[in-house]
Amino acid sequence: MGSAVDDWFVSEVLVHEQALMRFLHRNWRDHDEVPDLRQEVYVRVYEAATRRVPDSPKSFLFATARNLLVDRVRHQRIVPITAVGDIEQLHVMQDELEPGRWLGGREALARLARALDRLPDRCREVVWLRRIEDLPQKEIARRLGISEKTVEKHIAKGSRMLANHFHGGSDTNAAPGKARRERAWLSKST
Amino acid sequence: MTDNHRQIERDAALWLARRDAGGWSDRQQAALDAWLAGNVAHRVAFLRLEAAWDEAARLKTFAAGDVAGRIPARGEWACSPYFAPSINSERAVMRDRRAASHKRRRWPAFAGIAASLLVAAAVAGGFVWRDYTHVDRAAWKTAMGAREVVHLPDGSTATLGSETDVRMAFSRGERDLELTRGEAFFDVAHDAVRPFVVRANGYRVTAVGTRFDVRRDAGQLRVVVTRGLVRLQSAHDPAKPPAMLPAGSIATVAGDDVAISQVSMDEAREALSWRNGFVVFHRTPLAEAVREFNRYNTRQIVIADSSLDGLRVGGNFKLDNSDAFVRLMQAVFPVQAELRDREIVLTRKSRAHTAH
Repeated sequence: MGSAVDDWFVSEVLVHEQALMRFLHRNWRDHDEVPDLRQEVYVRVYEAATRRVPDSPKSFLFATARNLLVDRVRHQRIVPITAVGDIEQLHVMQDELEPGRWLGGREALARLARALDRLPDRCREVVWLRRIEDLPQKEIARRLGISEKTVEKHIAKGSRMLANHFHGGSDTNAAPGKARRERAWLSKST
Repeated sequence: MTDNHRQIERDAALWLARRDAGGWSDRQQAALDAWLAGNVAHRVAFLRLEAAWDEAARLKTFAAGDVAGRIPARGEWACSPYFAPSINSERAVMRDRRAASHKRRRWPAFAGIAASLLVAAAVAGGFVWRDYTHVDRAAWKTAMGAREVVHLPDGSTATLGSETDVRMAFSRGERDLELTRGEAFFDVAHDAVRPFVVRANGYRVTAVGTRFDVRRDAGQLRVVVTRGLVRLQSAHDPAKPPAMLPAGSIATVAGDDVAISQVSMDEAREALSWRNGFVVFHRTPLAEAVREFNRYNTRQIVIADSSLDGLRVGGNFKLDNSDAFVRLMQAVFPVQAELRDREIVLTRKSRAHTAH
């Protein structure tokens, strides 16, 4: 770790995840697929950066996301007219072109605090003891009377949930209610 | 797509948790490096988790001074004077953003097409009509699945659908078009002294300056008006009073029967989605939906079981992709499709289906 591209990716790309997720949710009908799309966008951006680091990371990120959606629509078998209308002229909304999330101080801490509070009880305890109190995993296991393997699992789960909430602004990075509504476009009856 | 993101994310989290457990050997690091190098998706997933994990340590600044080992209750952060304002303000910002994104409206794809037709009409409008006796003749024919925009010499445009034949005879006194097959949408340049007439199925559809669509089916004629006023008149029986169709009219003609319905402009435009390569169904009987696809695709869909005719279909579909339509029908209806070279045969699925 710690290569120049890795650092660039974390400091210039990941900070826009919330805006990216908003963009994907708004422009992609099936919200369950959004985390996969996000991953694919990151892969494309990262791969491009290993050849040449883009001058404007945010524009490049959204251009990549847009292209991915266009590719996906072309390969999709059924395309609702609204999706195509949007895809053909996918705008990056103004709020997505604002400067990246400011990570300097209180905002970042508040976001972390909220992310931590979203964890299930035991997971939250483990993450707290590990991250804030710097206790080794072995010591946490002893103190909470659980196995080291279980501590490891809590850490793994906690890191995923923290990442989704901290970067993307949600636990699951999905909006199930909206997805359900938008899938209702195919009606059937007798 | 390389792999399911969830699995990759889980794997990345396990690597992170194991490394975090301490006693990390060079051999383990080498294995992690190999995993990361094996797939860019692995690397970005790991970087993403690691970044958030590293960030979380910053919460120490908040906990400083607190009793070691005491884990604050949920939401206790918000009570801190250090946090309270920013947490609340950020929530407010997110709420505003959500509200803003709901207000945005989507532009119908139709608007762009309509605008380009208008521009085309304006450019062609410079044409000067000089020869008073001359009759300008032309004919167009489209293949199955085609859509073609034709610029007529008077500045009007005609958008021709699949398998459509149109003949033109423009003279000093009349702009005459004959639709012998298929469907066409006309954007008519205004010319008060020369009526614009489309003849089809024994009817004359007459416009002055307007937009309308004429479509022939076996024994049927349909006229959709999206702007202006259109006169629909029997060509065989001039004594019969004509029907006047304002914008938003859909007239269906079968022999002597003329049925006219007034619909919203959105509905009228929806009936013309074919110009953009789409068809829109609202609780449309399957048999009718299938007819739409069969207009545009050489591989014809055949409903072998008439009990399926009445199933109702909704949604927006690409006209040139009947395969996709059929796949979807199989997914939501008790329908089975047999794909043959030249046709797709729909039958009822044998096993009982309760969802309908």
